[in-house]
Amino acid sequence: MNQTKKTQEDPDILLKAENLRYTYEGEDSPALNGLSLTIKRGKKIACMGPNGSGKSTFFLCCNGIHRPESGTLYYNGRPIGYTKKELLSLRQKVGIVFQDPDRQLFSASIKQEISFGPLNLGCSEEVTRQKVSAVMKKLDITPYSHKPTHSLSGGQKKLVSIADILVMEPELIILDEPAAFLDPFYTETVHNIIRHITEQGITVMMATHDVNSAYLWADEVLMFHEGRLLKQGPPSKLFSDELLLKKTHLRPPMLLTIFRHLQSEGIISKEFSAPKNMEELKSYLSHQKNSGS
Amino acid sequence: MIPIDKLSYYSNLRHVNAAEKFTFSMLSLTACIVSRSIVIALLILSVTGILNVCKGGLPLSVYIRLMRIPVVFLVSGTLAIYINISKTPLDAFAFPVGAYYITGSIRGLLKGTQLICTALSSVSCLYFLSLNTPMTDILNVLKRLHVPALILELMLLIYRYIFVIMHLASDITVSQNSRLGNIRLSTAGKSFAAMVSSVFIKSIRRSREIYDALEARCYDGTLQVLSEDYPIKLSEILCIAVFETLLYLMIIIGRLSGGIL
Repeated sequence: MNQTKKTQEDPDILLKAENLRYTYEGEDSPALNGLSLTIKRGKKIACMGPNGSGKSTFFLCCNGIHRPESGTLYYNGRPIGYTKKELLSLRQKVGIVFQDPDRQLFSASIKQEISFGPLNLGCSEEVTRQKVSAVMKKLDITPYSHKPTHSLSGGQKKLVSIADILVMEPELIILDEPAAFLDPFYTETVHNIIRHITEQGITVMMATHDVNSAYLWADEVLMFHEGRLLKQGPPSKLFSDELLLKKTHLRPPMLLTIFRHLQSEGIISKEFSAPKNMEELKSYLSHQKNSGS
Repeated sequence: MIPIDKLSYYSNLRHVNAAEKFTFSMLSLTACIVSRSIVIALLILSVTGILNVCKGGLPLSVYIRLMRIPVVFLVSGTLAIYINISKTPLDAFAFPVGAYYITGSIRGLLKGTQLICTALSSVSCLYFLSLNTPMTDILNVLKRLHVPALILELMLLIYRYIFVIMHLASDITVSQNSRLGNIRLSTAGKSFAAMVSSVFIKSIRRSREIYDALEARCYDGTLQVLSEDYPIKLSEILCIAVFETLLYLMIIIGRLSGGIL
């Protein structure tokens, strides 16, 4: 590996992957097959792509659980190291909320569960206690915090698993399909929490299959395909690329489809760029109506 | 959720300091076993019963149902002590069957009753602890008693994953039932085998996954978690102290006077 190749450059880049390769034990085909990408600080990033395209494997590489066979992962401009100390500091900065809460929650007591991270980081009991109760209050977990983990609903477990990570105060939070198996109420709650997290300046990377919510939410979309990055860019650009969508078996977001249709029907001028949300589309329409009359 | 586990979370005695409950139940348990006395056993049985039902708010019917479980085992186990088959009749009772007698001695009857009472009240002590104290609180007490961390961590993980794996098993069973997997004895056997093997494989995979998830949160070989404590109440300690002193005094006096009860 070329250690001398110092990364330089853009202080905005939080995470950078160069040609990562990773194969699971006993598997023939690699899970990551030359993955390269960059993640900018403070952005909202949606990771899309079919199951088995390498999203989750990449996430596990991001905080050093998997060590790529080749390629380099840079965090804050420095290649990540695998000594105990370096891993500790990396894992404090990069938190993963796993898809299945039962895979993450190991304790039957919610308070104990959330206290695990800070105690591992070496916080005192007193500080940990404060942090745990602060995060429980923030995510509205307190009302059921006395219950055992196995009696919680799926949505409640999800919130606890997010609290697990938030309490460690990471710079980058990775959420692996946070809305999977959730009812509309908890989907909304989780999305609100994610919005709140990004407002604090924390970079959020989220795996999702929902083009509509990715389109509305993300600053940038990473399109995974067969262990590689197919394309990276703003959602309006990527979701307009029909070839790309076909290859990844995705349908364009509803909003974009309507917008394109309105443009082709001549109802909205061709000069407008793709709307970011419903409000923007509405304002186009009323603008068009006003200028037309 | 297993019903018996749920009970401890709704008990009125849940927020009593776990060490107090632990001390009470362990001292009473020891008294039971050491004395082997029917009187002491009945005393403890009634006190734990009253505590569970009146103080803990456990419905009497539920408590009786729970106590019935050990009774079945005990009765079937002590039957052998009560009843003998021999050629000569013993002093308590004897029914002739051909050349033999189904018979019992007074000593045997006494011993059997003693055994049932002692075992039942020992179980009631443990029930008192587990029906009023969530597992995580018990673990905290054990930690305070310097039980090795490895054992405690295993207990913590096993306890948590009992529910996850049971859920897995019940999901598979439901899906098998919905496809008539248990319609005949032969298919039921096969379905059960398939369920067990798939639960086994899945739980191995789960254990790998949980390890990754723990590592992602800086796991370094020991599961460090906060312990929760409820304040110790002087009045409660006093009650426990008085009761236990009484209990042990009774044992000592009983021993000195040579009573067999």
